[in-house]
Amino acid sequence: MLDYLNVVKSFGTRTILHGLSFSVSKGSICFILGTSGTGKSVLLKNTVGLMKPDSGQILLEGKDIVPLSEDELGEVRRKCGMVFQQPALLDSLSVFDNVAFGLRRLTKMNETQIRDRVIEALTAVNMEKILTRRPSEISYGMQKRVSLARTLALEPQVLLFDEPTTGLDPQTTRAVNDLIYSLSRKYNTSSLVVSHDMACALAIADQIVVLDKGSIVDMGTPKEIRQSQVPLVRDFMREVQA
Amino acid sequence: MKYFGWVDEVGQNFLFLSTLMKSWWRSNDLRQPILEQTWKITISSLSTTLFAGFFVGAILTVQFTLQMREFGALGYLGGLSTSGIVREVGPLLIAFLLSGKVGAYTSAELGTMRVTEQIDAIRCLGADPLKEVVLPRFVGIVFSSFFLLTFGLIVSVFGGAFMGYIFSGVNFEEYIRFIPSIVTLPSVINGLFKCLAFSLVLATVCTYKGYTASGGARGVGQAVVQTAVQTMLLIVFFDWLTSFLMQSFINQWMNA
Repeated sequence: MLDYLNVVKSFGTRTILHGLSFSVSKGSICFILGTSGTGKSVLLKNTVGLMKPDSGQILLEGKDIVPLSEDELGEVRRKCGMVFQQPALLDSLSVFDNVAFGLRRLTKMNETQIRDRVIEALTAVNMEKILTRRPSEISYGMQKRVSLARTLALEPQVLLFDEPTTGLDPQTTRAVNDLIYSLSRKYNTSSLVVSHDMACALAIADQIVVLDKGSIVDMGTPKEIRQSQVPLVRDFMREVQA
Repeated sequence: MKYFGWVDEVGQNFLFLSTLMKSWWRSNDLRQPILEQTWKITISSLSTTLFAGFFVGAILTVQFTLQMREFGALGYLGGLSTSGIVREVGPLLIAFLLSGKVGAYTSAELGTMRVTEQIDAIRCLGADPLKEVVLPRFVGIVFSSFFLLTFGLIVSVFGGAFMGYIFSGVNFEEYIRFIPSIVTLPSVINGLFKCLAFSLVLATVCTYKGYTASGGARGVGQAVVQTAVQTMLLIVFFDWLTSFLMQSFINQWMNA
């Protein structure tokens, strides 16, 4: 579904991604783990064309998205929905209009269909009762859930999550993780999740990729990762066991 | 390199302006968001402009009174202070004020949208942030600033007349008597042209600095400071440039 082939990205003289290569198969959940500043978010932004890699290929259903123009990237963004680290809701719009924003631009749905889809997406994250509120009138956790609903409303085939549970309470964190799992199993949606949360990765991931300083230091199923002897992975595992 | 950095910065502003114009060209219908922005900016800055315009006129009248009383030429007070207001001081001071109010607000708003990933989110949702967010603000600022500057100039004439009456003892009829002969059409065109140039400078700098902000809250703060500094410097520069060009043009036109 999504293949990274030798992806390199630098900012000035600083190389952030050192030739990453891995694949995410259809319907699977892939967690990218690593310490802060290892290029995890940069990898996601390259996947939806918000940044371009210096070299390498990113294949979505076999088609390289790197050379695509901003106009051509529309289709990629229709298929790959991204949930940002911050809620990134538009302050000037209500919750309803925030969720409807992408539907009005990327689909040919009429207003009735858009309304149904928005309510459906907000119901999935238990936020269907706050349609008319502005982002500034709801809590950070609620904003993150609305942000998730905004991406879900487009029914993307691939979901990219940039630290989806950071700043959320344990109950909401569990709910978000359950949602990622159910989307994968029910709708065959592929998910690429950037996170620090090894416990969650071990619980729901099909594949875990561990990054350190822009390079892959280990990769495998949760079972394989549990047995890894890589020092960084051992550090993450110690936190889970603690 | 520090000095070339400035040249680069001005060039980046022009490139941004050209990208915005291309984006406008490709847009279908932006009348509604542009009208909304123009209305919002105008209403929020109207009272400030009224206050500033009135006192710009009043200040200049006080200064001219002190000089002209010596020569017994208070009859020319209205004409000379209005000429000074319309040609130079009015657009300059009111533009400075708007750069602090409208420029800082827009730069902070766009900068916050950038660092909180709202701009990236708009792109991911299939929209062009230049078209959706920046262009309505840019055009709104140009329209409203031009209107506010012109409005400020008119108010400043009344401020001058009021101060002429209570400070200089010149009544309204006497104050306005020589305005038509001293404040000529080229003077008015000169003043209005400056208002337009300052509006464009203000709109370009604040949208560019806000849109390209990076580095969290600190980056937004820097963008706002840079907006204030660059706008004022560029306004002073364009004040000189427009005066120079208009004077040359008007001289040629008068001699032809």
